[in-house]
Amino acid sequence: MLSEFVVVDDADELSVDALGKALSARVESRGTERRGWLDTFDWRLYRAGLVLEHRESPPGRSVFVLTDLEGQRLARLPAPAGGIPSVDDLPAGPLKEQVMSRAGLRTAFVRASAEGRVGHLAVLDAEGKTVARVAIDGPLVVAGHAEPLPVRIRVEALRGYGKDARRVAERLGASPRVRRADDTLFEAICSAWGLQPGVYRSKPRVHLDPAMPAGRAFGLLLGELVSIARVNVDGTLRQIDTEFLHDLRIAVRSSRSVLKVARGVFDERLRSHYAAELKWIGDVTTPSRDLDVYLLEFDDLVEHAMDPVAMRPFRTLLARQCRKAHTGLNRALRSKRFARLLDGWTDELVASDEPGPDADLPVVRVGGDRLRSAWRQVRRRGNAVTDASPPDALHDLRKRCKELRYLLEHLSSLYEKSAQREIVGELRQLQNNLGEYQDAENQRRLILQYAEELVAQNASAKTLVGMGRLDHYFEHRQAVARAQFADHWTRFDRKHNRRVFATMLEP
Amino acid sequence: MKVLASYSIKGGVGKTTAAVNVAALAAEEGRRVLLWDLDPQGGATYLLRVRAKVKGGGRGLVRQRLRLVDAVKASDIANLDLLPSDFSYRHLDLVLDGQRKPTRTIGQLLAGLSPDYDVVILDCPPSASLVTENVVRAADLLLVPLLPAPLSVRTMDQLLDSVLTTSKGNPPAVLAFLSMVDRRRSLHRRLVNELPRERQDLVDVVIPVASAVEQMSVRREPLVTSSPANPVSQAFAQLWQAVIRRW
Repeated sequence: MLSEFVVVDDADELSVDALGKALSARVESRGTERRGWLDTFDWRLYRAGLVLEHRESPPGRSVFVLTDLEGQRLARLPAPAGGIPSVDDLPAGPLKEQVMSRAGLRTAFVRASAEGRVGHLAVLDAEGKTVARVAIDGPLVVAGHAEPLPVRIRVEALRGYGKDARRVAERLGASPRVRRADDTLFEAICSAWGLQPGVYRSKPRVHLDPAMPAGRAFGLLLGELVSIARVNVDGTLRQIDTEFLHDLRIAVRSSRSVLKVARGVFDERLRSHYAAELKWIGDVTTPSRDLDVYLLEFDDLVEHAMDPVAMRPFRTLLARQCRKAHTGLNRALRSKRFARLLDGWTDELVASDEPGPDADLPVVRVGGDRLRSAWRQVRRRGNAVTDASPPDALHDLRKRCKELRYLLEHLSSLYEKSAQREIVGELRQLQNNLGEYQDAENQRRLILQYAEELVAQNASAKTLVGMGRLDHYFEHRQAVARAQFADHWTRFDRKHNRRVFATMLEP
Repeated sequence: MKVLASYSIKGGVGKTTAAVNVAALAAEEGRRVLLWDLDPQGGATYLLRVRAKVKGGGRGLVRQRLRLVDAVKASDIANLDLLPSDFSYRHLDLVLDGQRKPTRTIGQLLAGLSPDYDVVILDCPPSASLVTENVVRAADLLLVPLLPAPLSVRTMDQLLDSVLTTSKGNPPAVLAFLSMVDRRRSLHRRLVNELPRERQDLVDVVIPVASAVEQMSVRREPLVTSSPANPVSQAFAQLWQAVIRRW
């Protein structure tokens, strides 16, 4: 644990000046700061051992500080004053590189904030060299909390001067007015915000007992899925990054799969009602997601497909359509219908007191039956695909694969891990191939649709030729995926996998 | 990780001043910077208020009895660390000569620092020696302060020849700049006008002679942090931008 202390008795002797005097340290700064801690929604920075903080002090001094979890500073970057800029807008440099490389597709945004006093002391040696730093934070006021967080004192070790920092920490630790902190300031602030850094799930983590009644087990799964959907709604509405919508869609799609196989487990009237409602919201999210994906990949695609400058009008059109699609999506997500769907999902469906006839059967039996059925459906459709099959046949197979995959993942706690993982791994390879094919199909459909719009807008010949080349590029990708399908299918449908699957389901 | 060396065969031309100020500017941008004071006089070490002492001396570092990173001291400037000078560095040539690859040893030692630093700046002793041969082999860019005098230009040519010979077909980029320029002197003014036109390796940045630079050794702090608005600080900022452009 780092040398961080919480002041238990707010006495004058622990003020910045008094501490400076007691430790023979120079007061480097003191004042009031507005502070924001940034991370991605799934805590990618924290999980990589990083804490990104934005600090703003009057008059308009603003800085980003990147530290490790123990508060040791790794990088610092002055930022433009006036609000917290997006990390995307920061100048290139190590801080931005470290944050962006960890964040990937996700955006680091303000997860928690506080305001209050800060002070910094420099403990000097005989040469006047700083050998340790002491930061005094607080009391910090967190919005919505009447009680401010108590003052914290953190001793920062400087490279090559560890002994000096330890000496300062020992002196501080000997004071009866402080206690050693059992969490970091960041964790304490997050806790005040009701957040647990590092805790995030995009898939349900439910441990099912094989004897558990199927109604209860599927109810638990749906309960988890609705809470995952719920937490991703705000980020989708605010378009913080594209992964909120992605995770929301997966929760919706997973729920549809669960509902589909839960025939006989829930009350049929409710089940079919919510299946239809989930299909509605799933369909509403599709245009936004398709355009998000297109825009995410656009720069890479254009790089190796054609002249990027000529493609600008196409990108502008995609961006405009994407905004439009998100506006429509936001309207749906703010609608009473969606609110009723979310509330009813939990209250009506999961807690229904009119269960279906299979509700009391053990989940291992119901789950096994449904898995066998899903497996059979995948095999039937896969074996029916020939070179002459239309794209829809592959799309249909892909959907069945997804259903099987969700079931395998959601019911994983009922089965032997290695067999379950092996089957999921095999399925994933097949899905990747089908995904590549289907994505190229979607991209080509959009190219044609938007080419017509651009023609109506008198787009230049260069743009249209570029789009033609892009279509050709996707056509090639699609053809490659199609040519590889037979091999992928043969691999998936081989005897070994069938045996592993059958053994996995054996009681 | 980029390795930059403040390098000249002549002494008293502003190598250390350039190394310390450029290091501070790089650190201010958020880069993790290590300044290695290879000069046994320890000017950079003194300016950053660090004790000029390395456990085991230069021999201990070269023979890896002490890891380079364990000899590093944080400076008072965020993101800027120092590998201090040690008086034993005066024998560094002899120690390097005893190594299996005597001209590549410093480069090999620096390679181990790449996870910790984005920029390493070497402040070299004023000589042409095995140490400087190592520096030429290790550096991505040589920053060469040049006094505005005909003799300096001749020294620069000698330096370039020596760099070409030493680097064995893989020479570092060379960025020379005029240092300690006194615009009251007509020769300085003439050379400031003429030299950048004549020499492609000379960047159009002029570091003026100024009492503020001398004051650095009294304040023991880089000028760019103590007086960022000072014209000399501004000139160093231009120099740093020229370095980035050249990388």
